[in-house]
Amino acid sequence: MYNRNVSPSAKKSQPKLEWRSEHTSKEKKKDSHSIPILCVDCIPLFHGTLALAPMLEVALTLIDTWCKENKYVIAGYYQANERTKDFRPNQVAEKVGARIAENFSEAAMIMVDSTRFTMGCYEPILAIYDHHENKWKCRDCNVDSFEDWCEAQKITSALLEGRSYESLIDFDNHLDDLRNDWTNPEINKSVLHLC
Amino acid sequence: MEMRDKLRKWREDNHRNSEQIVDVGEELINEHASKLGDDIWIIYEQVMIAALDCSRDDLAWTCLQELKRQFPGSQRVKRLAGMRLEALEKYEDASKQYDSILQDDPTNTAARKRKISILKAQGKSAEAIRELNEYLEQFVGDQEAWHELSELYINEHDYGKAAFCLEELMMTNPHNHLYCEQYAEVKYTQGGLENLELSRKYFAQALKLNNRNMRALFGLYMSASHIAASPKVNATVKKANVKYATWATNQINRAYQLAGRGTKENKCSVKAVEEMLESITMS
Repeated sequence: MYNRNVSPSAKKSQPKLEWRSEHTSKEKKKDSHSIPILCVDCIPLFHGTLALAPMLEVALTLIDTWCKENKYVIAGYYQANERTKDFRPNQVAEKVGARIAENFSEAAMIMVDSTRFTMGCYEPILAIYDHHENKWKCRDCNVDSFEDWCEAQKITSALLEGRSYESLIDFDNHLDDLRNDWTNPEINKSVLHLC
Repeated sequence: MEMRDKLRKWREDNHRNSEQIVDVGEELINEHASKLGDDIWIIYEQVMIAALDCSRDDLAWTCLQELKRQFPGSQRVKRLAGMRLEALEKYEDASKQYDSILQDDPTNTAARKRKISILKAQGKSAEAIRELNEYLEQFVGDQEAWHELSELYINEHDYGKAAFCLEELMMTNPHNHLYCEQYAEVKYTQGGLENLELSRKYFAQALKLNNRNMRALFGLYMSASHIAASPKVNATVKKANVKYATWATNQINRAYQLAGRGTKENKCSVKAVEEMLESITMS
């Protein structure tokens, strides 16, 4: 969840943090004419080897269609690496980020820094990268990058305490069993409940 | 006892649901140890490993002490002690522990594999790959090791070598649909028309072995439609691949409908799949 400028929004934020290793996701935003980009949701993709193409293409295609149906756009990509000490973007993150940037020029790439993770979530542990001239540049990420950090912190911490991650569905889970819903409606409900 | 059965099922299925194992196991050990009989030792082992996953060194230490007391000098317990050191990131000490096992028993594969895991944990992929290759020269039938090596190569984007590992696995496990499907994914990622055609064949083979493998079904669609869309293929090949892709799309549609219960998300997926079909039949 982030926006460019601090801009209070009437929409409720829907922060989500996934804590599986090597989790990747994408975020969507409401299509709007103004500059601040608000990410309102994210979809976890995979938790195995990330460096294979076919399922990633399938995921991008299906999620893109879903976005269009809901007037969203894929606005970024996030990744949490398997090794906690490894929080820099790798080739996979850069490639997927670039692919998303092809369709949405202001796409962001977000890396999760697991070394700073705490159950209380008191500080943001994301590194946000922007695409400039074929390179990814890290920008300052602090509480101002979030629509409502206090809410986000409270909700995320509560979700973690409640072990909501046990019911988190990613695209891998969906491919294992199509009944698994990668839009995670139950968790979304919990988030709204906690707002 | 229900908790005991749960733990046993998780052991048998090789589940790594560590938080749950710790929850159930800790209670079982603390409250009902006397009723467990000889099962308690394997439960200590199972709970210890789960405790390491959850950073519960207190619990892991307790389990380890019980096991050390009951099985002094055991290689298996030594390995657990090594794993605890790994969890504490004391990699040098862990390595020494495994070396001491190997001194007494040079064929101890578990200790060798733990040493390779240390390299992996330290991000030393090239070394891990080298050591694993050496290991496989000696233990050429170790499938877990071949699979681990294929993953290491994939993470290094060395798809050619990953394919080789999967070929070994397919040779020794011709009925395993997962290896076929993974091999197809690697070939697809390598790219180029020849690899795409190979990937399509192996996605199809995976489907023959298990017609409910969704990755194989999607993979068949993707590879066939890319081939059909390629300017390098003649009309016959194009027509055949459009046929394969269409078949795959229909199967995907069916699968979603079977799973569907008409949920909104599944309707979206079905719509996406229909659009995929349109896009290839139009090209």
